[in-house]
Amino acid sequence: MSVAETRATAPKQRWWMDSDKLLAAACILIPLIGLTLFFLYPMVIVFLRSLTTPDGTYGLGNYAEVLSSKGFWRATQHSMTMGVATTVVSVFLGFIIAHGLHRCAFRGKWLIRGVIVLPLLAPSLVQALGLIFLLGRNGLISRAIGIELDIYGFWGLLIANTLYALPQAVMIIGASLVLLDARTYEAAEVMGAKPMRQFRDLTLPAIFFALLNSAFVVFIITITDFGNAAVIGGDYSVLATEIYTQVIGLRNFNMGAVVGIMLLLPTVVSYYIERQSMKRQQGRHATNVQKFIPSFYLNRDIPMAAACFVVVAMILSVIGVVIYASFVKLWPYNHDLTFKHFNITLAGGYASLWITIAISLGAAAGGTVLIFIMALGLRKLSGGIAQAVQVLAAMPAAVPGIVLGLAYILTFNSTATPLYLLYGTATLIAVINFYHYHTQAFLTVMTGFRQFPSALEEAAGTLGAGYGRTAVTVVAPFVAPMLIAVFFFLFMRSMVTLSAVVFLTTAKLDVAAVTIMRLDDAGLTSQAAAFSTCVMAVVCVALGVMKLGLKLLSRSPKLNKAG
Amino acid sequence: MYKNTIKLTASAVALCAASSAFADSLTVYTALEEEEVAIYLDAAKAAMPDLEIDVLRLSTGKLGARLLAEAGNPQADVIWGWAVTAMMDPQVLELMAPVKIAGTEALAPQFRDTEDRWFAQIGYMGAFCVNTARLEDKGLTMPTSWADLEAPEFKGEVLMPDPNESGTGYLHVNAVLQGMGVEKGWAQLEAVDPNMAQYTSSGSKPCKSARTGEYTVGISLAFTAMQSIEEGYPLAMVFPSEGVGYELEASGILSSSDQQEEAKKFLDWTMSPDAIELFSQYKALVTVAGAKPSETAVKAGLPSDISTVLAPVDFVESAGRQNEIKAEWREKFGR
Repeated sequence: MSVAETRATAPKQRWWMDSDKLLAAACILIPLIGLTLFFLYPMVIVFLRSLTTPDGTYGLGNYAEVLSSKGFWRATQHSMTMGVATTVVSVFLGFIIAHGLHRCAFRGKWLIRGVIVLPLLAPSLVQALGLIFLLGRNGLISRAIGIELDIYGFWGLLIANTLYALPQAVMIIGASLVLLDARTYEAAEVMGAKPMRQFRDLTLPAIFFALLNSAFVVFIITITDFGNAAVIGGDYSVLATEIYTQVIGLRNFNMGAVVGIMLLLPTVVSYYIERQSMKRQQGRHATNVQKFIPSFYLNRDIPMAAACFVVVAMILSVIGVVIYASFVKLWPYNHDLTFKHFNITLAGGYASLWITIAISLGAAAGGTVLIFIMALGLRKLSGGIAQAVQVLAAMPAAVPGIVLGLAYILTFNSTATPLYLLYGTATLIAVINFYHYHTQAFLTVMTGFRQFPSALEEAAGTLGAGYGRTAVTVVAPFVAPMLIAVFFFLFMRSMVTLSAVVFLTTAKLDVAAVTIMRLDDAGLTSQAAAFSTCVMAVVCVALGVMKLGLKLLSRSPKLNKAG
Repeated sequence: MYKNTIKLTASAVALCAASSAFADSLTVYTALEEEEVAIYLDAAKAAMPDLEIDVLRLSTGKLGARLLAEAGNPQADVIWGWAVTAMMDPQVLELMAPVKIAGTEALAPQFRDTEDRWFAQIGYMGAFCVNTARLEDKGLTMPTSWADLEAPEFKGEVLMPDPNESGTGYLHVNAVLQGMGVEKGWAQLEAVDPNMAQYTSSGSKPCKSARTGEYTVGISLAFTAMQSIEEGYPLAMVFPSEGVGYELEASGILSSSDQQEEAKKFLDWTMSPDAIELFSQYKALVTVAGAKPSETAVKAGLPSDISTVLAPVDFVESAGRQNEIKAEWREKFGR
């Protein structure tokens, strides 16, 4: 923002062109430097470790060993099957929910909006416990129907992965639906097109990009996830489990690094496929978007509402049962209510909660700004460089948290560079949280940007608005819904994410997710559930306050004028 | 946005400055149980008020990964109470300094390193966690040995940690192999394998799954069993009659530490009679001669002379052969 102000007061015509270019370059360069330092550089170090053979020389020995192991191929097959299954289910359900929210008319959308993000702000332990408490062999449902369900394995893992992936799919698909122009639909209406026809010829082509992006994200986060696999996957071994075995079980980093690097391959391939299919798909842009206000169609809206509320009920019950259990004396044997689990003194107690909020706000604010200016810069850039930057920006999700966390230790715990100053600080935790979720944030904003009418930008340019000014007064308000979604996404994930952060906390600096893990490690599952409940409550309050603030802000005249 | 960068840099510098200002404090990495750490640390601080101690608590596996990832520039001064089979990994031993800690000379030779890089005055044991409510529901008889778990009625009712992912898993496999002999041991594990519902990645998970009635038997840790019984779960702690696995918790000082003196002072305290007295209240296993087991342990079913339930384990062999055994296990039972 300060850049824009400087720009607006900059003297005289001659500089206009140059400073615009300069600004565009800065928009691309600054996020790129960040990506290079905090993603590419650590990954290069991981790559070198993957090439380091036991005798200390470089070679492909580790790769040969991994490729020749039976377990690796079994895990690869499992990971791919699971990735595809989760993608199909999550994108389908994600589309239904996003479409229900933005293109259908029924009551209670606030509930859907609120509940759908719960899996993002719930610590991973909550989801795992919730599924076991409900669907486990001694779970509520098993006992109610008198048959022992066996969820440990493929089905349990599919449900757990879908719960986690769904909000991210909704976020990305929603980013494309929210910006569809109402007048196109009015025109179609006038011409007599039925809702089904409108959907097929107008909506589907417009959200094709978003569907592909969300499929890509869901696939990648599924094949890199370890937490769900460990808790509910039973013996269904996946690639992320292989990494855990090598690094944590066998203390063999280099082999873990090999599997980590191999996980990048399907990511690059699927991203390439996605890009290729995008080439055939031209974006369509109106110059001025009018908000679509859906009218009620019985045949469409009743089934859509029903589907949405079924999913909402499932999510609510999974998380609700854990919240309930945190007030129960001894799950599942003694259901007397008590507050005793909230009296947490071990594992650092509640102290970590506050620093985690600060870290998460930092990651969300810094991250949103960086993603925004990067997307802005990418509009001015084309060709090979733009391609390379996009692939790089979409890649971090392909790195399992454990690999990223260890890569950060190897990179930043070295006095060779001044970056060492960051090691052991809260700042580095904020940084790793942002880069860990870079892909989702980047693709959401890019999806929004695709709907942005370039004619608007050109008009602003013709009217004499410089690049910076256009960005702030024309582009930012347009993509504001995505920026806000990304901010909240980064905030929620930073509050609860564990896998990467667990390697960066120190004796003096603990975060909430690590406290939950420590309580659970100590066998105090109920206390871990109680702490998780507190984290979720705090995040909800924080989100509420921020939403309220946004509402007040959008009422203030200054921003209204900008919008 | 520039402002933002500047702010980030400024806060980074401020935080760094803050952490270096505390450089005098001793950084201790431990895998001891959370409750123990809190109790022992209070006592240590009371005994040595001028010593500032910061503790990072991680599970055995994660602590190992952390330690090795930091090996280029170690951040810890002391390792306190960490599985000895992990400590004896050559990659780790390389980082440790040979330091004579007062009192360790009285420990039996199998409880200390020949080069004084580690010693272990305490340890923990494995155990079967048996859910008595589920046992009754299913009409099963209380298992008292590994052989009992072979019975077809236990199909899908037993959990154990994967030795490739969990130290506790290795503890059990190793005890069976060393206690029964390699050949008989593998045969025993093969006989139980069809009944195993899952091989888990966490060592305490089998016990936690058993206590909530998801499965009947969790092959796990005595600590988790005792704690679950105290919390009121319908659980019995069983030591298999073939002998149960155990693990020593080793401590040592990193050679990179610039606080050798303070580190030694802290570890000296852990060998002091006061500390040993405290340990024996909470630990299943204290290797110092004459230490008595705790009341909780006795109540939960720990015999007063635990040597009667322990498998004969040679830790040098356990550590030395672990890669080989883990690989063979994977070949045989990997799922």
